[in-house]
Amino acid sequence: MFDVLTEYWPEFRSGFWVTCRLIVASFLVAMVVGTLVAAFRIAPNKWLQRLGGLYVEVFRNVPLLVLLFISYAGLRRADVDIGPWTAGIASLGLYTAAYVAEALRSGVFSVGKGQIEASLSLGFSYAETLRRIVLPQAFRTVIPPLGSLTIAMIKNSAIIGVSLLALPDILKQARIVQARTFETDVTFFWAAVGYLILTGAATLAFRFLEKRFSIAR
Amino acid sequence: MNYLFSPDNWEWLWTGNNARFILEGFLINLEIAVVSIIFALIVGLILALLRLSPIKPVSFIAGAWVDVFRNLPLIFLILYFALGLPSSWKQAWEDAMPGWAPEAFQSGLVLGAFLGLVLYNSAVLAEIMRAGILSLPRGQGEAAAALGMTRAQSLRYVILPQGLRRMVPATVSQLITLNKDTTLVSIIAITEVMRRGRIVTSSGFFVEVQAPILQVFIFIGLLFVIVNYALSRLSRRLEIRERKITGTKMKRVSGVEDVAVETA
Repeated sequence: MFDVLTEYWPEFRSGFWVTCRLIVASFLVAMVVGTLVAAFRIAPNKWLQRLGGLYVEVFRNVPLLVLLFISYAGLRRADVDIGPWTAGIASLGLYTAAYVAEALRSGVFSVGKGQIEASLSLGFSYAETLRRIVLPQAFRTVIPPLGSLTIAMIKNSAIIGVSLLALPDILKQARIVQARTFETDVTFFWAAVGYLILTGAATLAFRFLEKRFSIAR
Repeated sequence: MNYLFSPDNWEWLWTGNNARFILEGFLINLEIAVVSIIFALIVGLILALLRLSPIKPVSFIAGAWVDVFRNLPLIFLILYFALGLPSSWKQAWEDAMPGWAPEAFQSGLVLGAFLGLVLYNSAVLAEIMRAGILSLPRGQGEAAAALGMTRAQSLRYVILPQGLRRMVPATVSQLITLNKDTTLVSIIAITEVMRRGRIVTSSGFFVEVQAPILQVFIFIGLLFVIVNYALSRLSRRLEIRERKITGTKMKRVSGVEDVAVETA
C-alpha cells in the first residue's frame, strides 16, 4: 500500500501543490469579485443591483464544467490566447464568486436595521456606520458560510484537472499513476487522503476563525 | 463581440438536428439527476437515522462515512468507481437494464456515475436531514416518549414528519447542485449534453456544419441556467412558505455550496 505512495511520491506531491495553488488563487479571485458583486447588489442604484443579480443567477446556475469548456476550448477556438492556469482559476474563481456574493449580502442584511438607525442618530456618517457598525458584525456571520464555500471550492477544483485543461492536480496525477500501476484502489486512496487533508484543514481553519471572532455572550 | 454574435457562428443551431441532438442530451442529464436524487434521498435518510442512533458505534461509523463522502470531490468518486468497479458488476448492470430504459443508461459505466452521485449526495442529504431533525425542539421527542410511544413510533409520527418538512427547500437547492454535477459524468464517456456538445463541435464526416465551441457551450450553459433558475425560484418560494408556517430561521449545512436548513 505504501510502496505506491513512495514510488510515485513526486507525482502525488506535485499534484498536491498544483491543487493548493489553484485553490489559493481561485479563493482570492472569488473573494475580490464576490465582494464587488455583493457591493453591486446592495448599491442604491437599481441597475447596479440588477447587474449584480444577473451575475449571481448566471454563475450560480451554470455547471463549472461548462465554464471551463467556454473559457479554455471555446476562447482558444475564437483565437483568444488563454492559458490553462488562467482559464482554470478564472472559471473556478468566478463560479465561486457568485456564492461569495450571496453570502456577503445576507451577512450585511443580518445586521439589524435598528443598529444602523441608532448609529445614524448618534451622528455617525453613512460610511462610518458601514465601517464601524455593519461590516464588523457582518464579517462574523459570514465566516461559517464562507467556510462551506471554501470547502466546496476545494472539491470543485478537482474538476479542472480532469476536464480538458492540462493542469496536473491531485486527481489528474492519480489518473496518471493509476494508468501506470493499475492499482486503482491504492492510488485513489492516497488521492482521497490528499483531498481530505485540504478540506479538513479548511474546516479547522474556519472553525478557529469562527471561535476567534464570535461574540462573547 | 463580433465573433460571439455573428450569425455565421450560430448557424449550427438551426442546421440539421444539432439543436435536437443537444436538447436530447440535456434530457439525459435531467434523467440522471432525478434518478440520483431519489436514491440519494432514500440512502440519505438511512444514513441520517443511523447517525442519530443511540448506539454509539453505529452513530460513529455512520458519521465517519458521511464526513468522508461529503468531503471528497464528486468527480473523484465518479472517476474512481468508473475505473475501479469490477467489470462483472458493469456487465451485471448492462444485463439488468431493461430495454425501455434511456439509451444512456444501458452502458455499464453509468453504474459508476450513479454510485458516485448517490454516495456523495446521500452524504450531503443525510447531513441536511440530521440538521433538520436536530433543529426540532427537544420537547417534541420527550412528549412523544411521555405519551408512551416507542422510539420507532416517535420517529415515525412525530420527529420525521416535522424534521423532514424543514429540509424540503434545502433538498431542492441540492437538486440544483446535482443537476449541474451531472455534467461530470461526461468525463467517463457517457454521451450526455457535454459529450454531445463536443460531438457537434468536432469535424467529422457525419457533421454538416462544424459548430464553434464557444457558442455551443454558451447554449448548453443557458439550458442549465434556465432550468436551475426555475428550481431556485421554487426553492425560495418553499422556503418563504415554510418560514411563514413554522416561524423558523435558516441554518447553513457546512461543506455544501448553497444549502441551508431551517432551525427554530
